Amino acid sequence: MTSQSVRIGSLVLKNPVLTASGCFGYGLEFDDFFDVSTLGGICTKGLSLKPRDGNAPHRICETPAGMLNAIGLANVGVEAFCRDKLPILRERGVTVVANIFASSVDDFVALAERLDGESGVHAIELNISCPNVTHGGIEFGRDAKMAAQVTAAVRAATKMPVWVKMSPEAGDLVGVARACEDAGADAITAINTIRGMVIDVANMRPKLANATGGLSGPALRPIAVRMVWELAGAIKIPIVGIGGITDTRDALEFLLAGASAVQVGTASFRDPCSAQTIMHGIREFCEERGCDVTELIGKARR
Amino acid sequence: MTQSQVQLPKRQLLQTHLLRRESIGNSYHVLTFDAPGETGPLPGQFTMIRSSEWGQAPLLSRPMSYLSGGPTPSLLVKVCGEGSARLGRAEAGEPFLLLGPLGTAWRAPDPNRRQILVAGGVGIAPLLFLAKSLAGTGKRPLLLYGGRTNRDLPLSDDAAESCQVEVTTDDGSLGHRGRVTELLERTLNDQVEVYTCGPDRMMAAVANLCFAAHVPCEVSLEAPMACGYGVCLGCAVPAALGGYMYACVTGPCIEAKAVDWERTHATFGKPAAKGEPT
Repeated sequence: MTSQSVRIGSLVLKNPVLTASGCFGYGLEFDDFFDVSTLGGICTKGLSLKPRDGNAPHRICETPAGMLNAIGLANVGVEAFCRDKLPILRERGVTVVANIFASSVDDFVALAERLDGESGVHAIELNISCPNVTHGGIEFGRDAKMAAQVTAAVRAATKMPVWVKMSPEAGDLVGVARACEDAGADAITAINTIRGMVIDVANMRPKLANATGGLSGPALRPIAVRMVWELAGAIKIPIVGIGGITDTRDALEFLLAGASAVQVGTASFRDPCSAQTIMHGIREFCEERGCDVTELIGKARR
Repeated sequence: MTQSQVQLPKRQLLQTHLLRRESIGNSYHVLTFDAPGETGPLPGQFTMIRSSEWGQAPLLSRPMSYLSGGPTPSLLVKVCGEGSARLGRAEAGEPFLLLGPLGTAWRAPDPNRRQILVAGGVGIAPLLFLAKSLAGTGKRPLLLYGGRTNRDLPLSDDAAESCQVEVTTDDGSLGHRGRVTELLERTLNDQVEVYTCGPDRMMAAVANLCFAAHVPCEVSLEAPMACGYGVCLGCAVPAALGGYMYACVTGPCIEAKAVDWERTHATFGKPAAKGEPT
């Protein structure tokens, strides 16, 4: 028997596999497919203070080994989440990371205060890296001072672990991550999507109504692995690796690069059971080698 | 009452293979799969499909309405991009992954009304499935079928077995020259109900005629889709009540009144590409 549990700051996860925000709804959509309480955790769709309709269509388009999305953070709002979704997740014993989004520091604080002490929420993930909204999002994630300001304010507003999700478009990724670490973040999630664009040549118009969208999927993976590698050499807090993970081998790359856990995103669109398959795959990999999963973390660095 | 502890069987991607592919001219193909374990689809439902051999590109499965159900369901494919081109080249025995049936089925037809099916090109698939399911009830719906030319009307011969078929083409190469809505306008009365699937502009026009004539109208929505089961939120369609609904879970089959056709037109209503009936 090998141990699969990993520690992200004060939070102990059953195993290192989580599902990424925006790719797993609120977890309840997967009832038909598998028991999501077996996962290391789920990151909710980005929650805002008020419900959001999201962007006009078209919102997505496929790209080579990837896809663009400009959903625009459509979500039910934090109140409806706490009222309608969270009680069910709590009863089922799902480890929930609440991903939150706001366009001002004050609203980030208000969201963190609203979720603080909500039984069933195990950590808060700050989305300071959404490329598809006009205000907030990526503006915070590009700049070390702003990222630190949001992180410190949220840190002061909640006792829960705070994860900060990095934008690959931060000019100085390590600098932003260090600033968040110094401001009290418990973990760094890396990375969010990177902005891309496709033009419909027949119509001579951008394919997406938003013109640009976040690129996700395997096309992003080498960039994400490199960024996790760089962060792992620069910060002390745990890293949650994400970017184009579709199978066990991909997930292991991130762990070996220095991530303590991984998030499965776009792969859930291809196969709703992807995260579960990867979770089993990592366990089998460890059993074959007779090691605990924590022994794999950062092993490629040593 | 506490949550039921009964464990329902969980669904997963069905690993299956292609039984046969029939090329039916001008870039249309009928693909038939072996799917013994799959819950039988109802007319109007869809499946997410990709070949196991695609690897990571094309990355996503393709949403396709069922043309027929049962243990060997079939799909109608029009080659228009990378994924459909590969489907159009697939050979019997090729391994495939199917997730389905997904989405809503067509509303059950009203026994006291005549069904009028309005199809544009490849939109024939879910309507033909519906027509065949009606055959057992002795009903013979009217199919108004529009295409750009006589080569853009796949399965029109097949449809004649279960429907009274009237065809329109933009160039007059077969049937009535003009738009399918011109035929529809003449047939609307309080004894009929309409089911439609085709390009958005065509469905919007059909829906508007039906509203004006107070005729019930059901549409099958189409939108780019990554997951097919309600989590990617890619397939947003403007809703009449404001905001958006999602073609995969609120649809694809839904009453036309639920759709905000004006906003749909504003977002999807770019000039029709060549080949789209209007």
